[in-house]
Amino acid sequence: MEASQLFQTEPYMTEAKYRDAMRQWRLRAEDLDAILEREADAEIVPGLRRRDLWRPMLDPGVRSFDPAGIAWRMEEGDLAAEFESTASRALFEACLARTEAPNPPPRADARAVDAVIHPWLIRLSSVFLDQGMAYWPMPGREDGFYVAVRILFSQPAALSPTGLIGLEAEFRRQIARNLDAADVVIACLGPDQNCWEPVLRDELLAMPGWPGLFSQLENDPALFPHDPVPCSLMDFLAIRFTLAKVAWRNLAEAAPPEAADPRLTCLARAASLYDAARLTKLTAAAVSGWTPQRWSRFVLEVESFNHLERRRVYHLAYERWHEQEILLGLASHRRNFTPAEQRLRPVAQVFFCIDEREESTRRALEEVDPLVETFSAAGFFGVAVDYKGIDDAHGVALCPVVVKPQHAVLERPAEEDAHLHERRMFRRRLWARISRVLFVSSRSLVRGALSTAILGTLTSVPLIARVLAPRRYGLLRDALNRAFFPEPRTELTLMRSTEISHQAVEGLLLGFTIPEKADRVAGVLGPAGLTKDFSRLVVILGHGSTSLNNPHESAHDCGACGGRRGGPNARLFAAMANHPDVRTELISRGIAINSDTWFVGGYHDTCSDDVVLFDTEQVPPAHHSDLNAIVQSLDLARARAAHERARRFESCSGKADPAGALWHVEERSEHLAQPRPEYGHCTNAVCFVGRREVTRGLFLDRRAFLVSYDPRIDPKSENLARLLAAVVPVCGGISLEYYFSFVDNERYGCGTKLPHNVTGLVGVMNGSSSDLRTGLPLQMVEIHEPVRILFVIETTPEQLEKVIAANPTVRKFVVNRWIRVASMDPATGQIQIRRDLGYEDLAGEVKPLPRVKSSAEWYTGKLDHLPMAVIMQSAEAARSGL
Amino acid sequence: MTFTQSVLLAVVLAPGAVFALFSIFWLLGWNAPERTLTRVTASVFSISSIATAWLAWSMHAGGLDAIVVPLGDWFTVHDYHFPLVLLGDRLSLPFLAMTVILAGLIGQFSATYMHRDPGFARFYILLHLFAFGAMLIFSAGSFDLLIAGWELVGLTSVFLISFFTYRPGPVESALRVFVVYRACDCGLIAAAFVMHHLAYTSSFATGMPHLTGGDATVAGLLLLLSAAGKSAQVPFSGWLPRAMEGPTPSSAIFYGGISVHAGAYLLLRAQPILAESPIAAAAVVVIGLLTAVQGTIVGRSCADAKTSLAYAALAQVGVVFMEIGFGWTWIPVLHIVGHAMVRTLQFLRAPSMLHDYHQVHAAAGGHVRKTGEHLDSMLPLRSRLWLYRLAIDRGHLDTLMERGFVQPLVRVSLFLGALDRLGLSPAGNSNEPEPARATANDSATASKMGAIDV
Repeated sequence: MEASQLFQTEPYMTEAKYRDAMRQWRLRAEDLDAILEREADAEIVPGLRRRDLWRPMLDPGVRSFDPAGIAWRMEEGDLAAEFESTASRALFEACLARTEAPNPPPRADARAVDAVIHPWLIRLSSVFLDQGMAYWPMPGREDGFYVAVRILFSQPAALSPTGLIGLEAEFRRQIARNLDAADVVIACLGPDQNCWEPVLRDELLAMPGWPGLFSQLENDPALFPHDPVPCSLMDFLAIRFTLAKVAWRNLAEAAPPEAADPRLTCLARAASLYDAARLTKLTAAAVSGWTPQRWSRFVLEVESFNHLERRRVYHLAYERWHEQEILLGLASHRRNFTPAEQRLRPVAQVFFCIDEREESTRRALEEVDPLVETFSAAGFFGVAVDYKGIDDAHGVALCPVVVKPQHAVLERPAEEDAHLHERRMFRRRLWARISRVLFVSSRSLVRGALSTAILGTLTSVPLIARVLAPRRYGLLRDALNRAFFPEPRTELTLMRSTEISHQAVEGLLLGFTIPEKADRVAGVLGPAGLTKDFSRLVVILGHGSTSLNNPHESAHDCGACGGRRGGPNARLFAAMANHPDVRTELISRGIAINSDTWFVGGYHDTCSDDVVLFDTEQVPPAHHSDLNAIVQSLDLARARAAHERARRFESCSGKADPAGALWHVEERSEHLAQPRPEYGHCTNAVCFVGRREVTRGLFLDRRAFLVSYDPRIDPKSENLARLLAAVVPVCGGISLEYYFSFVDNERYGCGTKLPHNVTGLVGVMNGSSSDLRTGLPLQMVEIHEPVRILFVIETTPEQLEKVIAANPTVRKFVVNRWIRVASMDPATGQIQIRRDLGYEDLAGEVKPLPRVKSSAEWYTGKLDHLPMAVIMQSAEAARSGL
Repeated sequence: MTFTQSVLLAVVLAPGAVFALFSIFWLLGWNAPERTLTRVTASVFSISSIATAWLAWSMHAGGLDAIVVPLGDWFTVHDYHFPLVLLGDRLSLPFLAMTVILAGLIGQFSATYMHRDPGFARFYILLHLFAFGAMLIFSAGSFDLLIAGWELVGLTSVFLISFFTYRPGPVESALRVFVVYRACDCGLIAAAFVMHHLAYTSSFATGMPHLTGGDATVAGLLLLLSAAGKSAQVPFSGWLPRAMEGPTPSSAIFYGGISVHAGAYLLLRAQPILAESPIAAAAVVVIGLLTAVQGTIVGRSCADAKTSLAYAALAQVGVVFMEIGFGWTWIPVLHIVGHAMVRTLQFLRAPSMLHDYHQVHAAAGGHVRKTGEHLDSMLPLRSRLWLYRLAIDRGHLDTLMERGFVQPLVRVSLFLGALDRLGLSPAGNSNEPEPARATANDSATASKMGAIDV
């Protein structure tokens, strides 16, 4: 709320949106009542309690009146129609007679200076931070922003921009006095330290994006993708203050903004009060009869239940609907759950990321082959590494952003394929050179003229192909890639035999020792409850997303891998778990991997729904049939998942079959014009931490993060503590990111993607000159349902409270109500919701869920969020021992 | 009318007809579904492409130099005719073909790109209007008709820059572009006047209006003024980066593909006049050279994808101007077509810039060759700084225009306004008392505002 005032943003959806939701039964009167129950009640005037006032102000709801439109509305609009009834007219007159004109709200003075200096700050910042877009790098930028700009602008024989005349002289004076950036800033701030903070805040918030980037890069220079420069917020401020100072001098006095007519503001205020009085069925006589104290209490009550407060209540009610829907559904499904006595051995066990986008793939896989068991763990699978693939220039950290990897892993070509790798490297370098030269020369003068005039017409071939047949173009490109750049088989350097072999890769340990590996394997398998009864094949699927039209490149990748792709992590994990010494070590930690079990790593692309498995040639021959079976199942499952995903895309024909949908999503990832390669986490709303058996066979509509956690083997909640420490910040963060980008897309989000323009390879602007756009674009959040994520955790409230209290980060999320939390008793399935004053039993009637034969039957032809349903086949399988 | 003539007429009118149809629907309150719009667009432009190809083939086979479609007179004054005539010759056909192909591609591209945008229908309606304007420019047989197309292209350009009307930035930029366009359009209109006045026609369907010596210089320079405005040549180039506020596909077709080359087409058309006047031809070369140099220098300092593309495009259009000034015909046409294709693709790929760069970067093993080192070795630091300073202020052009043209103009109008208030200007002599007039004006404005509100 404070943030919304500071940044001038909206914390909730508009009232109109909530009222729309009421009309569509997405928000019910009973939800409003339930929320109002929780709010403090009081008597305002005799016979009128606060709740009686609030309830009609929300439903049917008060209108808002502003001075600009009030005259028209009274003469011709809705008020005119109402005033035909004498009672209404009299009530309004009564309100008007007692209304005083409000004090005019303080108006933000227009910052004329900003209009002059912002284009310059943007241009200078973008060239200073540029990572290789501009042909000429900014001269002198290795000395820092302030010095570079100062020398640039003190050049003789250059014109000062209009509005900044005298800038040269100012900079020269600063050079002569040998000032540094801090001196300039302090000189501009003046001696009174008390006013520093508000001034600095205003200056920085006038254009938050660029200085934000300066500050980020100053704190962590490792974030520079290619070309680090000494970056400092102080430098930025020094330039900002200097430009502003000069611009002030040039600026004529701006005319003060026109104040609204006091008569009209008075009318508008009276109309709002009248509206509230009308809704609470007050009469003119009653209002006129109040003492001045009572009248002013009434005014205070009505006006303090302002649009923010109203939207707060609306929003809580909106969330309550969702809470009921989810928790009652879970309760209903849980009721039918009985732990199986006897378990069959599954044909395969597949680990997915907890990502809610994997929910549909998991469900589809279970539908395709009910004998497959699925699990999930955060998509870096406990393997925090700095990974460098054979095609990568540098290593990147594949782990959550908060973790700094201690170990490095290199991908190396296999011995026998070394020559292939050499050739590939050489050809790739050549290709890079050619495309770089073409790229640069098309922008230069002479080479550009030659190349566009002679070769230009040939460009029409890729131009037409890429626009008209993007998928076929992609297939052709893949085929060419295979022909010219054949990929060698590779292996990973993940062994570290002795502690001494600190083959340091920039201070990192290369590879892992046996105990370290066992730690990581146990860290994933243990909490998930997979400690015995392994199937013959265990598949570990990391995920990521490849898409072309994406100015925010990493936006759709795996959150648990620091916004990168989790394939290598899965591959590493599998290699570790296959190691005989690791398995021996694991036995001592209570994890008995069957001797005939083999682990395979894989990668799932959530955009094109492509699945690849790694190191399949190393799978022992005895497991080949298992491998084939799971590959086939995965293939069917990914097509079904694509089909389910495609239902959300208006542009995919509703009649497409799974194969058609798969083609459609593959095309999406290849399409130059596709601003929605996938919807990302757009549908996230729930996070379930518990056994898969409890949710298996439940249609969750790709809306739930699923975290495998077995409470039965975790009496002290140690595993739970470890899981929540990772899951709460990741899922909670994602949920808040989507929430705020949805409710105020222009300011918290980055608006529509369509005019976005990549700048300096570090950021995105609107058009050619704007502040950096941060947050999520409209195209990613448009179908989001703005609710805080609801955690449902299979444990008891006592255990849960213990875990929450022990971890400061988790506590912050829970106590500040950034997430909603509920517990599900592992033994009885009873659901309790955490409120400020303790746990509250789930209210409401638990009804049986709709039952369908398959997911497709439930979702086909529907575009919106869907309620839960039970997929019978999977549910049966879950009950019968799997 | 022969079959060939009617085909040409149909190709030119088709996008106009689609525009008219959909805008009438729109005004009637029916928003065409996305699929209808894209299908109609795709079919219109694919049929037009085939028809244009057929026209080219039949001209070639029939040994025709030009297809002339007389459409009667716009109006006549006594014996003086203002004929409406379409002309498809060897110069206009490549441009017509380029327009239908690129417009079709952009239509197809935008079906995905603009999907679900609230302005989807508006975008397509404007795309058709633009295509119609461009077809008119490239097929007009007289300068009168060419002006009509010229204005349509300018208007749609402005509307598409301000496509995101709820943000102040795009609207301000659009207004700026509009002002530059209007100022430079004066050149074209004045040139048409000059031709009517001196050569008694502005039609070039049967040969250029005959102008010589000083007359040719005047007409040529006027045409150059408006060509330079439309193609963002020096000194008007400041508007081009501002035009990047619109959605990416419109930036591609306007500033990578067609609109930015319209000025070059105008000069190519007017080459017979330029040939008569060495001064005008030299001016074309000089403007082109200045633009090419400016575009190169400024473009090299730009760090954002779309602006650097805009300046790269400018540099090449500058070279095209030079080629036209030298009196060449086929080289500039080839250059324009090739350049339009390259630039359109580059604009369409601009959102994927990061992806592409990372691929190249990884393939090169992390060492992309640094650019600009060549210059480092050639120039001393002082000159480099000076040059960079020039580049970063975009050649000081905006500053010069603002200080040398806009501010004096504002001062003069303020002065005139002051005179008006003193009652000294001729308009001040009216009998009406001053305050009454002010209120009348105010209420007129108010009622206008009211109309907008409603």
